[in-house]
Amino acid sequence: MRRPAPYQPGAESPRLWRRLRTDREEFWTEAVGPPPSVHGERWTSFDGRALRAFEPPRSKLAAALAAGWTAPLPRVGERWLYLGAASGTTASHVADLVGPAGRVYAVERSLRPFARLLKLAERWPNLLPILADAREPDQYADRVPVVEGIYADVAQPGQAELAEANAQRYLDPTAGALLLALKTSSLGRAASRTAHLHSALSALEGTVRLEEPIRLDPFYRSHYLVGGRAGTPGARPAAPSARRRDGPPRPSFERRRRFRRSDRRD
Amino acid sequence: MDAARLLPRLDTIYLLAPGVRPRAFPRSPRAAELPIALLEAVRALPTTTPLQAADRTLAAALASALGRRVALESPAGWREDLRSLPSVTGENERAWILGRARSDLEAALRAPGELLASLAREEERIERTVGREERAAEAFVAVPGTSLSAHAEAWQRARALLAVEHAALRARLDAEASRVAPNLSALVGGRTAARLIAAAGGLPPLARMPGARLQLLGARRRPSAGRGPRHGLLYLADRAEEVPADRRGAFARSVAALAVIAARADAWTHADLSGRLVARRDARVRALRGGRR
Repeated sequence: MRRPAPYQPGAESPRLWRRLRTDREEFWTEAVGPPPSVHGERWTSFDGRALRAFEPPRSKLAAALAAGWTAPLPRVGERWLYLGAASGTTASHVADLVGPAGRVYAVERSLRPFARLLKLAERWPNLLPILADAREPDQYADRVPVVEGIYADVAQPGQAELAEANAQRYLDPTAGALLLALKTSSLGRAASRTAHLHSALSALEGTVRLEEPIRLDPFYRSHYLVGGRAGTPGARPAAPSARRRDGPPRPSFERRRRFRRSDRRD
Repeated sequence: MDAARLLPRLDTIYLLAPGVRPRAFPRSPRAAELPIALLEAVRALPTTTPLQAADRTLAAALASALGRRVALESPAGWREDLRSLPSVTGENERAWILGRARSDLEAALRAPGELLASLAREEERIERTVGREERAAEAFVAVPGTSLSAHAEAWQRARALLAVEHAALRARLDAEASRVAPNLSALVGGRTAARLIAAAGGLPPLARMPGARLQLLGARRRPSAGRGPRHGLLYLADRAEEVPADRRGAFARSVAALAVIAARADAWTHADLSGRLVARRDARVRALRGGRR
């Protein structure tokens, strides 16, 4: 009989678990809140811990992990500001990663997703929802302290500038991490997507020491994960290669299709 | 009184001093609005403690309330101090932010346009349910004398209840729509007006739209080089079904032109144009019906 592949704690955060399968690598986060499942994800228990599947088709952060992104990531005990939390799919996993001692301040502007985020926050003890517009950081200055990380997933024309403004206001300037899930198709068709990527990089390079951006293909077309840690600003990383970096094998077409289901629950 | 424990609940205070933790704030209070507990906490400090505030109004308010000098604080120093803030009071902070989120959400949903949009979405959902249940009932055979027939009776009652609720919801929606957008509801009907407002994201966004956009609002297909959609939600407009099917596109175009006028009146001028707009719509229906009166 074949033994199931073991779960292994990730090097970045002990609350992120990895599991090597034959065709891909799976990611799991250690749940902070009680069941039931938040967005239809699988749960499993391992060694007395409740793990939640963190799946690339549902979350750009997981897609970045699958594409080989290693750091920076949320660490245990940190406070993170999450911009564009929507109904809390990825925000709940970020909350899992920072653990019960950390905090996730989740900012969302549209009312109906926010209603679901609020329901989730009532049972997710370290998730703090804020109804505000991430383009105006002053709106939530009374609720958000200086944070160790910012994750921005706001598909908006000024998304890099928005992340930069929030970082100026809230990010710990000594070692804070900034992650931006960049959707280049929100920036218009006037420039190519690499041109959009480079303008986003130059918007952020004054604030953080950027890592090499990573493409989120095949799960998110023309998206990148951009980010780095604050500190002494370094040189901009070399232009991203057109090819994907070495990583787990590309999922089959069938597998990519299987996740693309409509998620309306009304 | 421990000022540090108080501060998460104050949304206006920003004060720097040893023993008093700073919080950022959106708005400076006047002297009379300063929380008494905070003033007491500050009075309990040794008088040699320097006090600093983030802006002129707050500094003045504190100075007049305390009878002490309060210095202005620069944003750079403010950030440094925020950073040294120890992880803010666990459960207090959480309860406060959750309560604030709840009240913010309720206040936002209470706005007339949002209320109407919520009602319109509910009505659409219930309408879909009613239709689905009716279609299922048509295909259902309750074999007499079996447990199926008992189920059929119970189901019949449930459907009747749902139909009653749907009618009540339609009435509420019509009333709300004619209150929020009287001209638009008179022109296209309350339910269509509500759906248009919900699709546009509010009455002001709808009023800012050009007529050509409104004509296709809610259309499922994309306009393409060939034959695109002729109308979106306007197929539901009052009197649309009286127009021959091949003229509905022309009808939608005319009604869209009138509807933006109505929406702009509802959003901004609050003039009552409904009589004139309805007369123009009816003239258009007559023309489109041609010989078939």
